[in-house]
Amino acid sequence: MATKVLETEGQVCPFPLVEAKAAMDGLAPGDELVIGFDCTQATESLPLWAAEQGYPVTHFDRVGDASWTITVQKA
Amino acid sequence: MLVSGLVIGVILGYLFQRGRFCVTGAFRDVWLSGSTRMLSALVVVIAVHAVGLFALQSAGVIQLGTGPFPWLASIVGGLVFGFAIILAGGCATGTYYRAGEGLVGSWFALVFYALFAAISKTGPLAEFTAGIRGVTIPDGTVYETLNVSPWVLVAVLAAVAVWLIVRDRRRLKAPVATLPARRTGLAHVLFEKRLNPFLVAALIGVVGVIAWPLSAATGRNAGLGITTPSANIASYLVTGDVELVDWGVFLVLGILLGSFLSALASHEFRVRVPDAATILKSIAGGALMGVGAAIAGGCTVGNSMVATAQFSYQGWVSTAFMLLGAGIAVKLTIRTGGRRLAAAAAAGAPGARSTVG
Repeated sequence: MATKVLETEGQVCPFPLVEAKAAMDGLAPGDELVIGFDCTQATESLPLWAAEQGYPVTHFDRVGDASWTITVQKA
Repeated sequence: MLVSGLVIGVILGYLFQRGRFCVTGAFRDVWLSGSTRMLSALVVVIAVHAVGLFALQSAGVIQLGTGPFPWLASIVGGLVFGFAIILAGGCATGTYYRAGEGLVGSWFALVFYALFAAISKTGPLAEFTAGIRGVTIPDGTVYETLNVSPWVLVAVLAAVAVWLIVRDRRRLKAPVATLPARRTGLAHVLFEKRLNPFLVAALIGVVGVIAWPLSAATGRNAGLGITTPSANIASYLVTGDVELVDWGVFLVLGILLGSFLSALASHEFRVRVPDAATILKSIAGGALMGVGAAIAGGCTVGNSMVATAQFSYQGWVSTAFMLLGAGIAVKLTIRTGGRRLAAAAAAGAPGARSTVG
């Protein structure tokens, strides 16, 4: 099982989600994508995307002020 | 009581910020991912607005009024505004509340938006704006053309909104993941808990309805609006004419203040400076937003939430062309290609790093 790290800090929406989708395409089922982001709206768009795709979210937390990390598993 | 504008603005700023409510996102998602979820939320805002505004009119509290339909301005202004909000990374309200969250790109967009709205409304472009807005069709609203009571349309719109909410519920394959709770009680509910977008939409609609009579009480017979107040701020700052500082000015300042306080209380405020390319896009987007909104007679609030709720052609046609303009901008400016990312990963760029674990 591979873990891929995608750092999108400094990018405004929709780019964290755009890049997450692109990165997910290259992963195999069971692989995890760790996305770091600081666009507030992505706290909604990223978990919503995971829920719509049926991808489990294995970790989702704040890192600091206006800074978050989410781990989405490809299913 | 101009201060009621500030209070309404603060509440809206809070709702937009905590609800992550973004009309630009709503338009963008349609083209980027085919998702109509946020667009559905916008329909909920319009429906609640429509019910409330026509109820207030029936009760004799407010007097709604729409003039003839400036069709050419609605099309051209809508296209320009829709294109601009993708460049700027947010519509007028989106730009205000992101500015409050500390996004420096939005500060640039906001300044150029206010400046170019003033240029287009009362400055060198005023004649052009008035000229294009003078091309009209007599019927201003859908119910005039159909010759029915506006309540027929209110009922149809409310039914559509309910259907959209029900349909959306069925789309999710799993519950939406939320951040772990670190606070309790009211602080958790207000500044931490995820807010359902449809609940936020309904609340924005309610606040918008309350806004109208409060604004009318100060002599400004209109609902929520962003563009004219923003232009008024720019004009006031260079003329010192206090007549320009009306209820709407307090409203937009309130949105800025409300989103700032909300972000601060939620630990979501941080000054974020983007790269040079993003700043340039924000400036161009902000300027075009000002021009587009002035021509169209409103932004995604004045036209897409308030004019639409009155079933005015200007509201619906400009909103449709904003959606189209956003689509053109998405296709031209947002590359969704995985290849660029794959190439970056292969080159070992920090943007996409692979580790085996």
